[in-house]
Amino acid sequence: MAGFLQQVVEGLGAGAIYAGLALALVLIYQFTGIVNFAQGELAMFSTYLAWQLTAAGLPFWLALVVTLVVSFAGGMLIERVIIRPVEGAPELTVVIVTVGLFIFVNAAAGWIWSFTIKDFPNPFPEGAFRAGGVSVGYSTLGILGVVAVVMGLLYLLFQHTKIGLGMRAVASSPQSARLVGIRVGWTLALGWGLAATVGAVSGVLVAPLLFLDPNLMGGVLIYAFAAATLGGFDSPLGAVVGGLVVGVAETLAGAYVGFIGSDLKIGVPLVIILGVLLLRPQGLFGRAVVERV
Amino acid sequence: MSELVVTDLVAGYGDAKVLHGLSLTVGPGEICAILGPNGAGKTTLLRALSGMVRGRGSVRLGGTELTGRSPDAIARRGVAHVPEGRGTFMPLTVEENLRLGAYVRRGRTGVEADLDRIYTYFPALKPRLRQAAGSLSGGEQQMLAIGRALMLRPRLLLLDEPSLGLAPLVTRELFRIVRAINEQERTTVVVVEQNAHLALGIAQQAHVLETGRIVLSGTAERIRADEQVAQSYLGYRV
Repeated sequence: MAGFLQQVVEGLGAGAIYAGLALALVLIYQFTGIVNFAQGELAMFSTYLAWQLTAAGLPFWLALVVTLVVSFAGGMLIERVIIRPVEGAPELTVVIVTVGLFIFVNAAAGWIWSFTIKDFPNPFPEGAFRAGGVSVGYSTLGILGVVAVVMGLLYLLFQHTKIGLGMRAVASSPQSARLVGIRVGWTLALGWGLAATVGAVSGVLVAPLLFLDPNLMGGVLIYAFAAATLGGFDSPLGAVVGGLVVGVAETLAGAYVGFIGSDLKIGVPLVIILGVLLLRPQGLFGRAVVERV
Repeated sequence: MSELVVTDLVAGYGDAKVLHGLSLTVGPGEICAILGPNGAGKTTLLRALSGMVRGRGSVRLGGTELTGRSPDAIARRGVAHVPEGRGTFMPLTVEENLRLGAYVRRGRTGVEADLDRIYTYFPALKPRLRQAAGSLSGGEQQMLAIGRALMLRPRLLLLDEPSLGLAPLVTRELFRIVRAINEQERTTVVVVEQNAHLALGIAQQAHVLETGRIVLSGTAERIRADEQVAQSYLGYRV
């Protein structure tokens, strides 16, 4: 039993990271209907930035704040410069643009920082909290805590501020939002900025567990897709729940299903994506699209 | 001095022109009805006024040129457009929809008082404040849409087929309220309507559109009285 609980805890820790990136995907999807394939690479780039700042001698938390601010501005800039020209173009066009962005950012990171792996500082203390035969690493607790805080801040933004209300209006109907005087273009840019910021958090959380290299987020992105699909691509809460479920499922499958082991774990998100699309395409918390005529 | 002055307005979708040089004026605090058969360009006219479609020519509101501005910029200048399909934010609550109507107004004061004012016009909305707007009936959604438009404290209110899909009783009630709003707030209203009888009942001026041109203008009484007009342009007796 303790062994099982231990696996669940490990799974939640991994899941919180998937949840972070899934949250970033959902933020953009909600406003624009765009699945941003470059989301993971943007997070990776932000993580390099944080690494560069700490390597230059900045204390970790200060480096983090600077990274988040730069990521926010960068996200907005990308929307204005790269996405804006294809706004309203067929979905495939936009998808290709984000895939191109993926390749470009990946190559740029390799060009700037080289493809050799780097050690990323862990912001959380070593050691673990023990209870009833289960040990919960402080870094696992830290990751869960950070994702909970991010979720809480987004909730406050969307439900209790005027800007948040405007963003939800744009998500619901850009056309009607324009008619009440909302600057829709800037709202979309704001969504990209927020997504880049949240993504940066997930990158900084995952980097100490793996090593920092330009392909840091490749695997995480696939888990995040599974998480967002499971939770519903238009539901921030769904993204977080989906992330945790995917993390736990992946860990348990690796530990208890003999033939999966640690090598085939990557198959778990694909099975989840397929299963959700077959059984409940809108995801657990998503809204089914109903056309009224 | 007219509040709304439209001169030689040409508008359409891509290469397909729907309005071919249309001119009209609406005085301050007046209700102006736009009548005509389907496809005459009534909806396009409203869309051109609120910037949803680009037009050539001139649209001036209180002396300010609106042509070429974006819909959000035009809304910030006091034009509230209740579009075809009502433009409701379905997943948001009734109250959030109303507050969005006041999105471009500065400061919170006045907004709370205006919410109360909306509930006196539309008491049916009050018990449904926390409900998702998508769960309202058609009539309630139309009330919500007009309420949302009023939250802007508009200089100019554009209504596109408010009667569409509503029961006759609900429609009559709605037009009565539009009239009351116009009288109490002195809001200038342009209403596009298939139901000529109802629209002429509340309007001072009316214009009949056919294939993108005004074919007849006059006071509401005159147009209502002219039976031949009703038959040839509106297709039925009023």
